[in-house]
Amino acid sequence: MIKKTNLAASVSVLAMLSATIASADAMADLEAAAISEGMLTTIALPHDWCGYGGVIDGFKAKYPGITVNELNPDAGSADEIEAIKANKDNTGPQAPDVIDVGLAFGPSAKDEGLTQPYKVATWDEIPDDVKDADGHWYGDYYGVMAIGVNTDLVDNVPTTWDDLLKPEYAQSFALTGDPRASNQAILAIMAMGVNKGAAPGEDSGKVGLDFMAELNKAGNFVPVSAKAGTIAQGQTPIVAAWDYNLLAWRDSLAGNPPMEVLIPEGENSLAGVYVQAISAYAPHPNAAKLWMEYLYSDEGQLGWLAGYCHPARFNAMVADGKIPQEMLDKLPPAEGYAKAVFPSLEAQSANKKVVTEQWDAVVGANVE
Amino acid sequence: MTDATATVPHASAHAPRPRRIPSGVTKWVGVAPFMIFAALFLILPTLNIVVGAFQSSEGGLTLDNIKGLARPEIAKPFMISIKLSLITATLGCLIGLVMAAAVTRGGLPKGIRDGMLTFSGVASNFAGVPLAFAFIATLGRLGLVTIIAKDVFGVSLTGFGFNLISFLGLTLTYLYFQIPLMILIVTPALDGLKNEWREAAQSLGASGWQYWRMVALPILWPSLLGTLALLFANSFGAVATAMALTGSSLSIVPIILFAQIRGDVLQDPYLGYAIAFGMIVITGIANVIYIVLRTRAERWLK
Amino acid sequence: MIGRAKFWSWLAFGAGVLYFFLPLIGMFEFSLRAKRGEYSFLAYANVLGDPQFQQTFLYSVIMAFFTIVWGVLLVTPTAFWVRLKMPKLRPVIEFITLLPLVIPPIVIVFGYIRMYNTSSWLPLTGTAVGTNILLMFGYSVLALPYMYRAIDTGLRTIDIATLTEAAQSLGAGWFTIMFRLILPNVLVAVLSGAFLTFAIVIGEYVFAALLNRPAFGPYMVWMGSNKAYEPAALAVIAFAITWACMALIQLITRFSKHERAKG
Repeated sequence: MIKKTNLAASVSVLAMLSATIASADAMADLEAAAISEGMLTTIALPHDWCGYGGVIDGFKAKYPGITVNELNPDAGSADEIEAIKANKDNTGPQAPDVIDVGLAFGPSAKDEGLTQPYKVATWDEIPDDVKDADGHWYGDYYGVMAIGVNTDLVDNVPTTWDDLLKPEYAQSFALTGDPRASNQAILAIMAMGVNKGAAPGEDSGKVGLDFMAELNKAGNFVPVSAKAGTIAQGQTPIVAAWDYNLLAWRDSLAGNPPMEVLIPEGENSLAGVYVQAISAYAPHPNAAKLWMEYLYSDEGQLGWLAGYCHPARFNAMVADGKIPQEMLDKLPPAEGYAKAVFPSLEAQSANKKVVTEQWDAVVGANVE
Repeated sequence: MTDATATVPHASAHAPRPRRIPSGVTKWVGVAPFMIFAALFLILPTLNIVVGAFQSSEGGLTLDNIKGLARPEIAKPFMISIKLSLITATLGCLIGLVMAAAVTRGGLPKGIRDGMLTFSGVASNFAGVPLAFAFIATLGRLGLVTIIAKDVFGVSLTGFGFNLISFLGLTLTYLYFQIPLMILIVTPALDGLKNEWREAAQSLGASGWQYWRMVALPILWPSLLGTLALLFANSFGAVATAMALTGSSLSIVPIILFAQIRGDVLQDPYLGYAIAFGMIVITGIANVIYIVLRTRAERWLK
Repeated sequence: MIGRAKFWSWLAFGAGVLYFFLPLIGMFEFSLRAKRGEYSFLAYANVLGDPQFQQTFLYSVIMAFFTIVWGVLLVTPTAFWVRLKMPKLRPVIEFITLLPLVIPPIVIVFGYIRMYNTSSWLPLTGTAVGTNILLMFGYSVLALPYMYRAIDTGLRTIDIATLTEAAQSLGAGWFTIMFRLILPNVLVAVLSGAFLTFAIVIGEYVFAALLNRPAFGPYMVWMGSNKAYEPAALAVIAFAITWACMALIQLITRFSKHERAKG
């Protein structure tokens, strides 16, 4: 009997070993194939977004045979999709291999046939509601919509969205991009709606757009794409963006000027998930897959954590004790996340439809 | 009896006769590289866009794309761009003329003229990204002039409603390269105003102002109008300055086209062709006016 | 009456000086504010030490060099040939060289993207090298009006007909005539065109941005959104470079005039 259990045990050990060896082999094969491709083309990855600078450097250090070709760091989610479409027949360095887009952009990209499926080794640790069952897109990190304020220029920091309508904030508020193309801008508008109690989806889009129209009429909205530089130089003293971005910008400005980051009070705050996908027309598919493996490995996930983002495998990694306490402490306070609404895919798509189609008509911000 | 070999010319004592290029077709060899280059990298790409403006997604010809230009989100930027270009061109013309006249005929020391011409050469090339930064650093919320106005004079520019990202702000920025361009072009024309004409007018009793109104300006008029057209086209096509000032959310035509080429924000690829075509038509008309008027003006300067 | 005219002249001139110098002073002052509370050159140190700055600046300088070489090689023989053999073609050539001032650059690069992508007959955008070549051609198209004007003016001052006849009677071929006779004589004009081309290429944005090449123009725009004080430092550096180019043009033109006067 003992012999039988021993046999069973050794067989299962062997099976496990061979599975690990098999996956290690698969990994080695992937690495070899990726290195022979020699290049990875990314798009829309600013270095201070979720610590991508550190993540890319880590990837480069691990695989020195792969050149990372970074396109257009200031692109919005729609720009990334368009870049795939425009380069369907192009295998040159303008064609992106991988994209990182808002959740609402994932399914539409899959439907248009712009993505190819791939499931990383740690697939099971990614929550189900942020990944495509077939593996075409998968959530990578999330954060909460917040407001950043340049306290050199603004004496009274606004605490709610409605505060922004006050005349003292004339020409002060900006979004981080074009609401017709940037996921961050589209969800900022959704956050305004959700914060006022509207249901996530078409309602929040409408309420948010109406609020933006009010802001524009009051003369408080600045039609500039806001980032660290414009906050510091004074064109956009108040910005709505993901908390991880605002915190990273605050760090980069290092007190000159000082910046305050807060989540506006109200009914709810809005959490936003981004997803990774590999382009169906990727010129370097193996490098793309290797990149995904790296991002979803512990090293990649911690890289995002260092940029104030909550990575997709956050809960699983916390349970496994893989996250050092100092990193947990640096994250934005958990209360902001307690009231956070994680809008479903349908809600995000409905919101996106309303905002992109009606922005010009309802708000139509321009130079006057 | 003819000697068959008599017609052989004797070899010259010097080097053999140089090859003469036979006239006719082979003459074109010399300009062929230039023509091919211009065709491939200037004319054909433009034609590609012009033709594309009339194509539909099924492959046939259509006017739908052009009609799409009437959509409010396209027509409005066109109106704003045209207005902006007209105003910066007119102001650039007037101010440039006044400055050039002040320096060439206003009795100022000669060194100032050379200095101004050199600086104009620099400033007219300073357009684009660095110019936007310079204006943000001067007239932006934290700009030098804004701060001086607030701290020294107690005047708040924002309180007056001034915003760099407005029509006024953009105009001020664009003038920085429009005025020098005008100065560079109009100075030779002003030099062409012969002194004898002014002396003749004075001897007939005309005041300075009358001289300008009845003699100088009519002569300069075609040149002025022509340069106005050039400045208009210059301003209409400027992308980099506006881009650096505001990112891609400003409602002027070059930025709309830029965003469309990059990210198809209008969700209609053929509309991009139509917008580009619209731009070509407008700048084309402006430049035709410039060339026609310049040729007429040059008659006076001979 | 002259006194009154002079007063208005000085007023106009003074207003002009104010308008043109304030932004320059403003950008310089802003660039010194990197350290909170005191003036310092920290922004310049950050910029010059940034590897991105060095890479993109180097890239643009190299592109400028190739653009100048290509421009000279293309324009000089053409201008020479047209002057010598086909004077009736001059208006046509001049019209072509003025087209880049009429057609907005953004339209030209849009055409490039449609015409030379990887599914076309000349897939230039398929490789980095191909795209670089396409970008260089684009730059030379932008610089064409100035390059042609400069070289044509230079050719006007020398008697190319006589020179060519003389050279041919001594047995020189076209190549020798071009490179050992004409080019050295229009060197001043070529250099003027070269410096102007350099200034254009360094600051150019639209072509490089839409063709996704790591040039200096897109780098400057990127800096503008992401950094606070470094963009102003960049603007100062860009202005200094433009000024240097113009000053060099003035210098060699004046120098050549002296040479001509002497000889």
